[in-house]
Amino acid sequence: MMPGGDFHPVLFVILAAWVLVCALGVVLSKKVMYSAVSMVFCFLGVAFAYALLHAELLAIMQLLVYVGAISIVVIFAIMLTEVVEGGYRQFFTRTALAAAALALLTAGAIVVAVVSDGVAGATEKTLNPGLQELSEILFSRYVLPFEVISLVLLAAMVGAIVLSRKQEERR
Amino acid sequence: MSALEWWLVLSALLFCIGAFGVLARRNIIVVIMSLEIMLSAVNIALVAIASFRTGVPGGGTLFALFIIALAAAEVTVGIAIVVGNYRHQRTVQADRFDELKG
Repeated sequence: MMPGGDFHPVLFVILAAWVLVCALGVVLSKKVMYSAVSMVFCFLGVAFAYALLHAELLAIMQLLVYVGAISIVVIFAIMLTEVVEGGYRQFFTRTALAAAALALLTAGAIVVAVVSDGVAGATEKTLNPGLQELSEILFSRYVLPFEVISLVLLAAMVGAIVLSRKQEERR
Repeated sequence: MSALEWWLVLSALLFCIGAFGVLARRNIIVVIMSLEIMLSAVNIALVAIASFRTGVPGGGTLFALFIIALAAAEVTVGIAIVVGNYRHQRTVQADRFDELKG
């Protein structure tokens, strides 16, 4: 049996191609709306990745939060702001070449590090805990981060409302 | 190469695509989207390592869950700032955000 248990090479390749192509679509699209649609598909692929890794709770959360909520927020922001038209020169500054080189170098370095380090040496497949076990851990061991996260979300909501109010309503 | 390595390579490539978007694009909304891609890449790495290694049970999954929640908060505030700034400067191009006073 392959290390990693039920690793499906075919599914993985399809998934990787899907996610990477959609991510490139986000980064390279001229129209912001195309980027947003690409982002939705990219996050669908990421949810699929979680499902392949047997993290079903995360897959559902990814669908709800990213595909559902964040996409809507981003698309609303695009509709509320200007539409920039023009050639590629208008979308990528001259620093884009340097950025591409930097990104490629970083990718190469990480891949070399991962492959040469023998991360896989003692690969052992552990089953991700199920929903019941996860919620027990969440409300016992990780209850403090859980509560802090709710405060952060509340602060973000209040902050967003304050920031997006009209100027004359502020005092 | 083993399964874990393939997942980590996918995560690294996705992260670098996102990093390229953050560095190269001028439209601030695309920058925020690229940032989300980078966060997703890190999440994939976390979940992959958590599923191939023994450790605190559920630690990787819950960590990724917290990152998703923080990403949601970050996008909310970021987009609010972008839209609020658009009212002032009528632009979403990051290189034209050159006026710090309100």
